[in-house]
This record gives sequence, C-alpha cells and structure tokens, in this order.
Amino acid sequence: MTRGRSTGRRGVPWLSYLVVATGAVLTVVPFCDMVMTSFKGPGEAGTLPYRFLPRAFDLANYRAAIRQLDLPALFRNSVAATALITASVLLTSSLAGYALAKLRFPGRDFVFRLVLATMMFPPFLFFVPHFLILVHWPLAGGNDLSGRGGAGLTVSIAALAVPFLVNGFGIFLTRQFMVAIPDEVLEAARIDGAGEFAVWWRIVVPQTKPVLVTLGLLTFVDAWNEYIWALLVSTANPDVMTLPVGIQLLQDHVDPARTTPIVMAGLVLSVLPVLLLFLLLQKYYVRGVMLSGLK
Amino acid sequence: MVNALVPETAERTPRARAVRSAVAGRVRHRRRQTVVAYLFLAPVLLFFAVFLLLPLGFALLLSTSRWSGFALGDIEPAGLDNFTGLFADGSTFLTPILTNTLLFALGTVALALTGSVLVATCIDRLRFQGVWRTLYFLPIVTTVVAVGNVWKYMYEPGGLVNGVLNAVGLDSVAFLADPDTALPSVVVVQAWASLGSAVLVLTAGLKSVPESYYEAAALDGAGPVTVFRRITLPLLRPSLLFVCVTQFLTGLQSFALITVMTRGGPGDATDVAALEMYRLAFGYGDWGTASAAAFVLFAVVLAITLAQLWWFRRTGEDA
Repeated sequence: MTRGRSTGRRGVPWLSYLVVATGAVLTVVPFCDMVMTSFKGPGEAGTLPYRFLPRAFDLANYRAAIRQLDLPALFRNSVAATALITASVLLTSSLAGYALAKLRFPGRDFVFRLVLATMMFPPFLFFVPHFLILVHWPLAGGNDLSGRGGAGLTVSIAALAVPFLVNGFGIFLTRQFMVAIPDEVLEAARIDGAGEFAVWWRIVVPQTKPVLVTLGLLTFVDAWNEYIWALLVSTANPDVMTLPVGIQLLQDHVDPARTTPIVMAGLVLSVLPVLLLFLLLQKYYVRGVMLSGLK
Repeated sequence: MVNALVPETAERTPRARAVRSAVAGRVRHRRRQTVVAYLFLAPVLLFFAVFLLLPLGFALLLSTSRWSGFALGDIEPAGLDNFTGLFADGSTFLTPILTNTLLFALGTVALALTGSVLVATCIDRLRFQGVWRTLYFLPIVTTVVAVGNVWKYMYEPGGLVNGVLNAVGLDSVAFLADPDTALPSVVVVQAWASLGSAVLVLTAGLKSVPESYYEAAALDGAGPVTVFRRITLPLLRPSLLFVCVTQFLTGLQSFALITVMTRGGPGDATDVAALEMYRLAFGYGDWGTASAAAFVLFAVVLAITLAQLWWFRRTGEDA
C-alpha cells in the first residue's frame, strides 16, 4: 500500500517535503564534504575561506592513503575479524536458537532466561575484564599455565573477534523465528530418519534464511565499524590493527592540515564496502534495526 | 500411557509389547534430544561462562581490590575504597564527568527525539518513503571513526560549518576548541548519527495508526495540530518509549565518538563516565577504580532505564 496519506486530502504536502528534504540534506552533506575533501590538494583543505569543491579531482590522496596507511594490511585484518565474528554469530545463534525453539529438554527455560539476561549487561562493563582475560590466557602467546610471562591471546588476530563471537540478541532473534516453523515438518523429517543435525541444517536453516541474512548483516556492519575494542587490541599488538584504528592513528599523529585529505580518502575507501552492502541488502538491514533498535 | 498400565495379563500380548517399546522409545528419544540440545547449546554456554560470568565476577573482585595488573596473587582486598575514592572531595567523577554523561545522553535524546518525530510525521505523508529512509540511514552504517573525523573537520575554522556561518555574515565559532561549546557540538553529532533508526521506528509506529482515526478527526474538523496532539502522539507512545529508552542507553554508555572527536577535552569539558573508566584502566592501569566506575555507571544506566519505564507506564492510560 502506498501511503502518502494527505496527498489525496490536501494536495501536495509542501511543508512536509521541505522538512524531510532539509533533514536529508543535513544528513548527506557531511558525506559529500568527506568525498570532496578527499580530492583536495595540499593547502586546499582547512584553509580560509572555505570552499566546498576541490580545484581538481585528483586521485593522489587515495594513492597516498593506500601507501601511508598500509591499507591492504588494514583491510585484511578488518575482513578477517569481521568474517570470523559474522560466521560465529550466525552458527552459534542458529544452533542455540533451534535448541531453544524446537527441542524439549530439562533446563530449557533457564537457558532461555539466561540468554535474555545477557542482553542486559552493557559492553563497557566488559572492556577491562575481557582484556585482562585475553592477556592472561593460559598457555597462549608465551604465557605459562598461570597466565603469566607473555601477551596471551592478544598476539592472535582472533583477539579482535573473541568478545563478539556469541550474541545474546542473535540467539533470541533466531529462536523467535524458529518457533514459527511447524513441528509436523520436523517430525516428518525425523520419521524419515534424519538426525537433529540434519533437521537443523536441511530444514530449519533454509526456512529461516531471511532472519539469518538480517542477523548476518547487522553483525557484519557492527563488526566492520567496531572501534574501541579493536583500538585496545591493536595497542597491544599493532599487527592486528583494523581499518578504523589505522585511519584514526594517522589522523592523530600527523599534521592535520596536510593529512586531512588523505584521512578522508582512507575513510571513503573504508566506508565504501559497508555502504554498498547496505544498499544491496537494505530491506534486511532495516528490518534488523527495527527488531533490535540497539543503535 | 493408560495402556501401559493395564494388568500383567496383557503383558504377553503383542500389542502391549509394542506399547511398551514405544514408551521406551519415547524415553530414549527424550534423553537423546536432551543430549543433542546441550550439544547445540555447548558453544554458547561455554562462551557465556568464560566471557560473561567470569568477567563479571572478575570485575566485581577488581572493583573491591587494589591491583597492579601483573600476577593474580598480588590482588589485595580494598573494601569499598575504590567506590568512595570516586566520590571523594577533589574527584572529578561526579562533576563534571557524570554530569557530562547525563547532559550528553539527555541532549542526544532530546535532539534525536524532536528531530525524528518531526521527520517521521512528515515522511508519512510523502511518496518514495524508501528513498528518504535510505538517506537518513547512511550515518548508521558508517563507522564512528568516519563520522567523528568528518564532523571534527567540518567544525574547524576552515571547515564547512564555519564556512556557512561566514557566508551568512556570522563570526566563526571554535566549536570543539571552546569548553563551552564542545559538549553541545558532540551532542549534535551523536543525535545526527542516531536520527535514522529513530525515524525508522517512529515511521513503523505511525503506520500502525488506523487511517479511520484520521478520517474521523477530519470529519470533526480537527486541525493538524489537534490531530497530532490528540491522535498521533498518544498512539505513538510505545514507539516513543522504545526510542527514548534505547537512545538514552546508547547515550549514557557510548564514548567512541567522543574518543575520536575530542578525547574528553578541552580540559574535561567532554569527558564522560565510560571514557573515564577506559582511561583509568588502560591509561593509568588503575584497574580497581576503573571497575568501580563501570559498576557505578551500570547502576546509573539501570536506574534511568527503570525510571523511564515506570514513568511511561504511570502516565499512560492504556498501559
């Protein structure tokens, strides 16, 4: 159904157009400024008077960003961490969601309530203990059994992903959608001799594909954009630095007047993959935000 | 079940045997399903044990201890010293840090809520709602490092915002460099970044308002302001509550944007509780005080969330 509620009643809603368009311009302008600045030459950015357009559309800043930031390495780390987190969240959520929705076993209500309770704790409670646990992880990164002597799990790229591998909201979300699958379908497959794992993989997962895409997309975007935890881990071990951390580092350490266009070029390159993915799978993402409202 | 309990004479009949084996089969099936269920849940339960319960316990222990951060044996009990230290004379935790946190959250919610109600009610009247929504959504999928740096640059003397001010004949403003304007400046960015999701939730809420209500109001000759106040706003309550609670939660605990834009400065003009916790821990290695600060902030977040739920329930006729 097309809305356009009062178009029929009171003609074209000019005032509404004005409000919405003004808001949209305010939303988009910073992105345009980012792109324009990424093309500006030396002495063109941050000088008075302000000019929106660059003198020439030169790709020099992009070349400089790739070179100075070592963008390929940052990209590799970001991709690895994001892939690990997304795969793990999808796998653990759909497995646990299936058990909680469709299997009958003692303790089910308790586990479900536990999952709900985990969503109550804000992430900032965990920065300190998570970091200390990773640093003191026994028998990793040169640590002895008591967790001393080395850098623990922080030597590994997995450190970027570890705190995000399981997501209470993801379990809750998949469970809610799996409850709707009729039991008869699963029972029929079991009578045909399918084990629970086969039932999960061949029936439940395909039937819940839309919600898994939604969850995957939300997780992907969050993981790709994550900054605080990645900053912590990268400080302990610069080899696993991700895109946001690397670009921020350049911003902080070099003369801003000269590097702003290079930073903007790096930002454009780092924002582009998520933006494209979002535009392609918008429907799923929008539904996810509606379901979670966590942003 | 009843058949399984009939007298033993029936035991020898084939039918009874079939029933018995069916019951045994069901018990076996039940037991196997329990094993399978816990296998499916194993990764999740293991994760929660190691990365939720253990850290919570560890953080509680640290908040009541003194520790240099090296050997676990060096952890010394400190009672509530870390907590009292936060609120002692000369501590900056209550003012300005906790005050900043509240102002930051309050400002963000106020701006984002006003803006999103305005935009959502207007979008509801337009065509191509999907296109508009996409535009409003762009900041949400963008990393905080991009958002923070772009706005930081736009706030500079030679940046876009001052460029516009100068173009209309106004003097430049030192947005992030001036302690008086720094906090409002980051509040604007946080609200800008969260507008899209609020608009989305409110638009969905508006769609659930039955068309007939508006038609009835139009028949009664109600003006747009009356319709908004008497129909739209009351029916939008659940969505408003949702936006309010989630945005407040985010506002109270987020510090990534501030880290990128001002690092709490100038001075401590934009220092917020979560950032202070982060700095105490990873800047000064004061794990005890940092953990105490985290729990204090957690208590504040819980109290404010519960207060909002309570207030909305009390003032709402339908809840």
